[in-house]
Amino acid sequence: MTTQPAKAAGGARSAPRPPWRHRYTAISAVSAICFIGLWELAAATGAIDPQFFPPPSYVWHELERLVADGSIFDFILVSTRRVLIGFVFSAGVGIPLGILLGTTKLIRWIVEPIISIIRPLPSLAWIPLSMLWLGLSEEQKYSIVFMGTIAPLVVFVTDATMRVDSIYTRAAQNLGAGRLRIMWEVILPGALPSIISALKVTLALAWTCIISAEMVGSTKGLGFLIWNGKDLSNISQVIIGMLAISLTVLALDTIIRGVEHRMLPWHRGQDKR
Amino acid sequence: MASDRPIIRAENVSMEYARGGEVVRALGGLSLDVREGEILCIVGSSGCGKSTLLNIIAGFLKPTEGRVLLRDEPITGIDTRCGMIFQEYALFPWKTVQSNVEFGLKMKGVDKGTRRETAAKFIKLVGLEGFEKAYPAELSGGMRQRAALARSLANDPEILLMDEPFAAVDAMTRQLLQDQLVDIVAKTKKTVIFVTHSIDEALILSDRITVFSSRPGRVKAILKNDLPKPRSAAAQLSPRYLELKSQIWDSVQEEVLQQIALMERIQR
Repeated sequence: MTTQPAKAAGGARSAPRPPWRHRYTAISAVSAICFIGLWELAAATGAIDPQFFPPPSYVWHELERLVADGSIFDFILVSTRRVLIGFVFSAGVGIPLGILLGTTKLIRWIVEPIISIIRPLPSLAWIPLSMLWLGLSEEQKYSIVFMGTIAPLVVFVTDATMRVDSIYTRAAQNLGAGRLRIMWEVILPGALPSIISALKVTLALAWTCIISAEMVGSTKGLGFLIWNGKDLSNISQVIIGMLAISLTVLALDTIIRGVEHRMLPWHRGQDKR
Repeated sequence: MASDRPIIRAENVSMEYARGGEVVRALGGLSLDVREGEILCIVGSSGCGKSTLLNIIAGFLKPTEGRVLLRDEPITGIDTRCGMIFQEYALFPWKTVQSNVEFGLKMKGVDKGTRRETAAKFIKLVGLEGFEKAYPAELSGGMRQRAALARSLANDPEILLMDEPFAAVDAMTRQLLQDQLVDIVAKTKKTVIFVTHSIDEALILSDRITVFSSRPGRVKAILKNDLPKPRSAAAQLSPRYLELKSQIWDSVQEEVLQQIALMERIQR
């Protein structure tokens, strides 16, 4: 019997980070600081009008005010909550439906026309209907996220399911697996990497949904913060709202990446980062 | 006597399928008996329906005509008594070696403890101890094919259907895998139908060799491989080995030439 070197198995998992990684981080940090410095300088020299484009120091003062009364944290939480609840509903329906569509032709033929009609609609288009039906409630916000993400999610998951190599299905059948077991043991894990990618894309979409919904009919949330800033001609507030969206989405992305790493142990060591 | 009865009997099997608006006849009235406990190698030019026959025996395909009997009963669907070993390994990438090997038992509803024990036994048999927790992507090609063999054996099939299983590994590894296979089949007393391109591989492994004619596939010749076992590297230099090899080559060569002529005609 041959036993090949054990490092074939262990090597991939514990690859040390390259030492120059820190240098990349340093360069990125210097780049960001330079950008902020130039921005401030442009305002100080009068190259840009602080009334229309406030420099970082103005934005910082505004931020201090929003932190002092706690409203910024409140708004971040409100928007995040709305996105997550709407998104959980969307994923809860979209993933099983996508798998069903990907594996059963008949159901695909039945559902596909409905999906094709919903898919081209931007989330903004749902706002009037949702307001008429649900008022300005929290449910209305969830429904906007749901309607804005469900169609692309279903399409992504259906694709991912159909792309699972049929050789795995045949191998599983050959070992005695029935239809349901194949869905659970083969199709779902086989499609999981693509499904998680789809979730990342649609989660970003969910944010665009909630921001537009909050701009039109809300007194809370980051969308409201931006719109309200516009109404008050408080441009610093608009900028803070925008930055808050970016940072929140980035934070959520990092969390998802961690979850992905845990859920796809067989993908470790294949990261091309 | 049990061993005289064929475990698999293909009766007048034909297979046709449509490809690009044309009807392709992969098998044309093929009949073949496989004896219990033997290693039967099928050689033939590419496109002679070797893989099609395996897929019919495994129950993945239904023949257009004729039938295949497994212990005197017609095969009507996928049957776990026929374990398939694919050239592409087909190990589940999301499962560890251990979980891959346990898969068939899990489908049968065998409890966890027994599953673990059985898997350990077969992982040991193919020489993969210490790699239970590795994922297929972390293994070499040869190791993956051994894991696939363990997965199939753990499910206790009566027949192993092997579709060019060693074609994707390097020559050195292939030789080791061949030796291991002969050893493992002797220990587990399985019947093996082994499809290969390589006459050498067929001579090293087989008890009998059958040559398929080019499309539509049919049995052109059956030879008894009487080379003494074990067939070490030295056996490959013996006069009898060379005699058998040239005999098979003559038979295959005709078919390969015909196949090439056919392809050229199609291209024109």
